[in-house]
Formats: sequence, structure tokens, C-alpha cells
Amino acid sequence: MIEDYLVLSVILFCIGILGVISRRNVFTVLMSIELMLNAANLAFVAFARLNETMDGQILAMMVIAVAAAEAALGLAVIILLHRQKGRLDSNVFSLLKG
Amino acid sequence: MHDFASFLPLVITCAGALLLMLYAVCPKAEQEKASLMSMGFFAVAFFAQLLVVCTVSRSVFPETFNGLLGVSSFTNAACLIIYACGFFTTLSSHTYFRENHFATVEFYSLLLFSAVGMVLLSMARELITAFIALEIMSLAIYILVGFNRASSRATEALFKYFILGAFSGAFFCMGTAMIYGAAGSTRFESIAEWLAFNPATTPLMLGGAFFLLITIFFKISAFPFHAWVLDVYDGSSNPITGFMATALKTAAFALIANFLALSGNLHDSWITGLFWIAVFTMFGGNLIAIGQDNIKRMIAASGIVHSGYLLIALVAINSEHFSGAVIAYYLAAYSVATLGMFAALSWLGGEGEKRVNFDDFKGLAKRQPLAAATITIFLLSMAGIPPTAGFMGKFYIITSAITAGQIALGVLGIISSILSMWYYLRLIVSMYFHDAEEDFVVNGTSLASISTVALAIGTFAIGLFPLVL
Repeated sequence: MIEDYLVLSVILFCIGILGVISRRNVFTVLMSIELMLNAANLAFVAFARLNETMDGQILAMMVIAVAAAEAALGLAVIILLHRQKGRLDSNVFSLLKG
Repeated sequence: MHDFASFLPLVITCAGALLLMLYAVCPKAEQEKASLMSMGFFAVAFFAQLLVVCTVSRSVFPETFNGLLGVSSFTNAACLIIYACGFFTTLSSHTYFRENHFATVEFYSLLLFSAVGMVLLSMARELITAFIALEIMSLAIYILVGFNRASSRATEALFKYFILGAFSGAFFCMGTAMIYGAAGSTRFESIAEWLAFNPATTPLMLGGAFFLLITIFFKISAFPFHAWVLDVYDGSSNPITGFMATALKTAAFALIANFLALSGNLHDSWITGLFWIAVFTMFGGNLIAIGQDNIKRMIAASGIVHSGYLLIALVAINSEHFSGAVIAYYLAAYSVATLGMFAALSWLGGEGEKRVNFDDFKGLAKRQPLAAATITIFLLSMAGIPPTAGFMGKFYIITSAITAGQIALGVLGIISSILSMWYYLRLIVSMYFHDAEEDFVVNGTSLASISTVALAIGTFAIGLFPLVL
């Protein structure tokens, strides 16, 4: 039963990785990263149930707080990019080689 | 009480950051004053830390923070390096912003905040604490990288660093979840207890440690995750590049060394992996550095090589009697030279960083003999030429590798060190053996020039200072 949640968590994490690697839209990339963090949260909560401790639940809360801060900064970066380039496609960045 | 004293430098830095944040709202706020204040906070924190190192002898404080944070001689050394990096970065920023006008008071506040994150990261004895410290540090650094909002290069560097940093942060989080699933706790102490009775190769533990290592390798720009470092260093401003190259690397290495030293069991299971990553990091970094024309990109690539040497020290650590002295010594030697290079670049770079290529520094020795001499000292220290700190650091690392039975790694380290002469000497040749094409007008004595000289002296001072084991 709890193993199912872990499998779901791994699937979500993999979807997140695929999204970061394959998508070109900056927003989608940011959302994929959030998905990866939330996959980790799900794993925390599932393991907390499995180990019968409360630690995991609290750790998940901490991660949510950090993810919110990261998302806020990410949106600021997106606004800055949009002002400069007028597009949100990561292909337009070519000033720095490599 | 002693527990609180060990924590005092961090409190000072944190209070400094908050005060500067408040000062930024004040209508008469000037960034020049803010830079002096931030210098003061870093200096006070440094001396408080020095006092702690000299007076408090007890090592770890388990009771005060419930084992979430720990202090040892290694973390003390790492904190000293971080505060010193912050101090010298502020000095070079002060000079840099005379010619590049995009600084605000918040710049220095964020510098202090990122130092807080780094110090917490090096003290962390629990994985979620480490994750939060990592994010405090990274979020501040992201903003500092993209601080010049008018420059599209800086924005691009910020975007690359942010996406990759957040991506690797998610791996850290997942790794923590897996280790929590395996060991039932995220505290280092409990993980070590669990590892004493269980192999480190159970799937969850192996996967968790692998994910954590991915994040740290990304932060220290080790081999498969090194591609971002050139672009990000190139796109951000000189003082911040220096800060990222030194303080951030120190904090990340402190965390990874603390983590791997948890239990011999864990360390042994990663020795082969670390061995190959160290080798590829050194030689890959050298290959990239040889092809660079831009000094910042060359230093970035040489930073990859130095991470490789530090990984050798990581392979060689003894988890039974872990002191981390070799790692701390090398980090200090590397930080002094790299900060010095970036202080010199901030001083001589000119408006809008117009001097960045090897060719731009042709004939510097004829116009600015002092600057050329100090840059030469830093480059020789990075290359590992005898009287400097860089040589002693490499010497200790290679000796520790041979003591640990990793003779092949020691030999490869020496070969890589010889290869790296190529690009360090190239800059020296272009400074000394060419005629000057321009006058290198810089406006008088500045804080960056003073810090360049101080760091050049520091290069020899650390080189003379024997390793205290």
C-alpha cells in the first residue's frame, strides 16, 4: 500500500527530470522542478508512515517552504528574462557559449 | 555558554545582513557606506570566529541544537575561510562599483546572507538543515550573479545557474528522502549508527547518497556537472565570481567531507566512484582551461581542476580519525590565490569589465609592475610552485593520497599539476614579455589594490604556516 506511494513518487520525479531536460519553455521547466521537489515530499511522507515517525511530515513542510522561496525567485528571473528578450523560450539564450 | 559562543560569529553575520536590509530602506542609504558596514561585519565575524577557534576546545555540541549543527576544528577552519572570502569580496566590490554603477545596498546584504548559508552548510549535521542552508546560500548567490539587470549576459548566466541549481537542489531533496527511508532519520549521528549495522550498499542508501553527491558535485563543478561553470563565471561580475569560486566551494566541500566521514562503511563504498570523478575532473578541467582566451573563463576552468585535487583529498580522508585539515588547508590556499586574482581583475578590469582577455593584459608589467607581480604570485600559487601556499596544499593532498594507498591518484595529481602550468604561464608571459598597448589607467589606490597586496602576502604566509593536524 505505502509502496504504491513510493512508486508514484519515483514516477513524478522522473516526469520532472524529463520536463527539465526536454522542455524549452522556461515556465514548464520551473514547474518540472517543483514537481521534482513535491515528489520528494511525497516520499518523505510515505517513509514517515512506513517508519512510523513524524519526522518526515515536518521535513516535507520545510521543503515546501524552501520550494516557495525558490519559486518566487524563479518568477522574478522569468520577468527579467521576458523584459530583456520578449520571449520565454530557452533557445534564445546564446550570448554565452558552451 | 560555550555553545552559544561558537555560534556568535554566525549571529553577527546574520544580524549584519538584516541591519543592511533595513538600512536599504533608509532614503539616505548609500552603497559605499553599506560596503564599509559589510566589511566591518565580516571582519568582526572573522575575529569572533578566530577567538572561538583559540578558546573553545570542546568539539561538537549535540545538546544545544539537538544534533542538527555541529562544530569541529574542520568547520571552524571552513568558517574562517568563508568570512575571509566575504571580507575580501567586499573590498573588491567597493572598488569594482566605482566604475560599474549597478550596486545597491542590498548587494552587500545578500553577500552577508549567502555567507550565513555557507557557514550553516559547513556546520550542518542533518540533511534537511543542510538543504535549507544550501538554499539560503544559493538563493542569495543567484541574485548576486544576476545583479546587473541591464546586462543580458548577467541575466543569461543567472538563468542557467538558477535552473541547474534548482534542478540539482531537487536531487538533494530526493536523496535526503531516500536516506530518511533507509536509516529512519536524517541526522548524521543516527545515519552513522544505522550504517554501523547495515551495509551502505542497500538500494535506498546507495541511491540517496548518489543523489546527494550529484548535488554537491554540481556545486563544486566536478566532472559530469562542470559545463555551467564557465558561462556563469563569465556572466557574473568579477567580485561575485571570486566569491562563488572560493566561499561556495569551501562550504560545499565542508558538507561533503562531513557527510562522507560519517562512517567508513559509506566512504568505502564511494572510493572507486570518487577516484574516477577526481581523475576526470582534473584532466577535463585542464583540457577546457587550455583552450580559453578569457581570463575569467580560464580561472573558472582551473577551478574545476582544483576541485579535482580536493576530490583526491576526499578519497583519502580517514573516517576513523577525520580532521579534514588537508582539505581546509588546500581550500585556504586556493581561496587566497583565486580571491587575489579577482581582486586584481576588479581593480584593473575597467569600466564594464573591458579588460578580460589574455591579450588585454599585454605589457601590464611595464605599466603596473605591482599589479603584474601580485597576479604572478597568485598564478604561481595556483600552479603549485614551491614557496607559495598552493605548493604546500598540493604537497599535503598528494601525501595524504599516498598514505591512504592511492598512489595512482597521487601520480595523476602531479601530472595534472604540470599540465596546468601551460595556461597559468601563458598569462605571465603575456604580462611580462610583450609591449604595452595601453596605459592601464586606474584611479589611484583603491581597496581592491590593497587587498591584492594583502592576499599576495597571505599566499606566502599560508605557505609558511605548517599544517596543524
